[in-house]
Amino acid sequence: MSGAEGARAASGNPRRSFFQRQLEALGARFSILDDGPLATDFGAAAAEREQARQLGLCDLSSLPRIGFKGANTAAWLAGRGVALPAESHRLARIEDGLLACRLSPGEALLLSQPWGSSRLIKDLERAWNIESAGLCFPVPRRDSHAWLALLGARVPTMLAKICGIDFRPHKFADLTLAQTQVARTSAIVARADVEGTGCWHLLFDSASAAYMWHVLIDAMSEFDGRPVGCAALAPPGSAQ
Amino acid sequence: MKIMPCPLNGPRNIQEFICRGEVRIPPAADASAEAWAEYLFYRENKAGIVREWWCHLPTTFWFIAERDTRTDEIIRTYTFDALDESGSGR
Repeated sequence: MSGAEGARAASGNPRRSFFQRQLEALGARFSILDDGPLATDFGAAAAEREQARQLGLCDLSSLPRIGFKGANTAAWLAGRGVALPAESHRLARIEDGLLACRLSPGEALLLSQPWGSSRLIKDLERAWNIESAGLCFPVPRRDSHAWLALLGARVPTMLAKICGIDFRPHKFADLTLAQTQVARTSAIVARADVEGTGCWHLLFDSASAAYMWHVLIDAMSEFDGRPVGCAALAPPGSAQ
Repeated sequence: MKIMPCPLNGPRNIQEFICRGEVRIPPAADASAEAWAEYLFYRENKAGIVREWWCHLPTTFWFIAERDTRTDEIIRTYTFDALDESGSGR
């Protein structure tokens, strides 16, 4: 689907990416996944896969995600088959490719992936009710937070320009997360490598989407980074 | 760059935090009007080691920091749970 067709498809769909205009201007081709438009590629999927190994910026804002917060969060999720990591600032790969992030002892964030299913997230949304969950409250993140994936070996060097955390692989291991400020904007940065390619998920206030897109494009330009479609984010088992 | 040791997030740039003033123990509900006025409207503004509320903004995590106002040195940080009934950190 071309950028224009994607725009039409998206216009018939109530959900738009926070980066829709920027992606359309770059000629993104969209697919609809879980009722949201996802930029699959920019017309050069193979080159984008190679780009993602170096430095790529991929919009995942349309993908389903949800948070839960409260002292009973870990127990309530465990009762529904979601085992959070024992330590805060860690994440785990669970069923359907989901990433289960433990932000603090009493806060969790679940992220779906382009190649996986969001069934579990929808099941949790349906299962929650105030009578049975106790001190565990949903924190909807799909509209409040924009979501970009930073891909490739040059990401830690690029992020060093705009964030005080050391994201080099030997300092910031796979399946680790930090809640910090990126370009003076509060953000969650969660590392979950995909088939050997470094992948740092960046979630931040959706009201700052246009600002952050501009900052990241500017910061990446020094290292030949550019936007890539989510097809460049190779699903597990499809390493080329 | 000044570093604040956050009990939840570890050492971070001080720009990620906001200070919300002295830790103060409220008077009893039936305390005198003078005691409530003291609590609501007056601050000690001490030159020395003070206990303050700080918040890590990306996580909205509140904790207590002991800071020397003469040198701006952060002595230690801990969560509210570590505050005993007298208002001292354990």
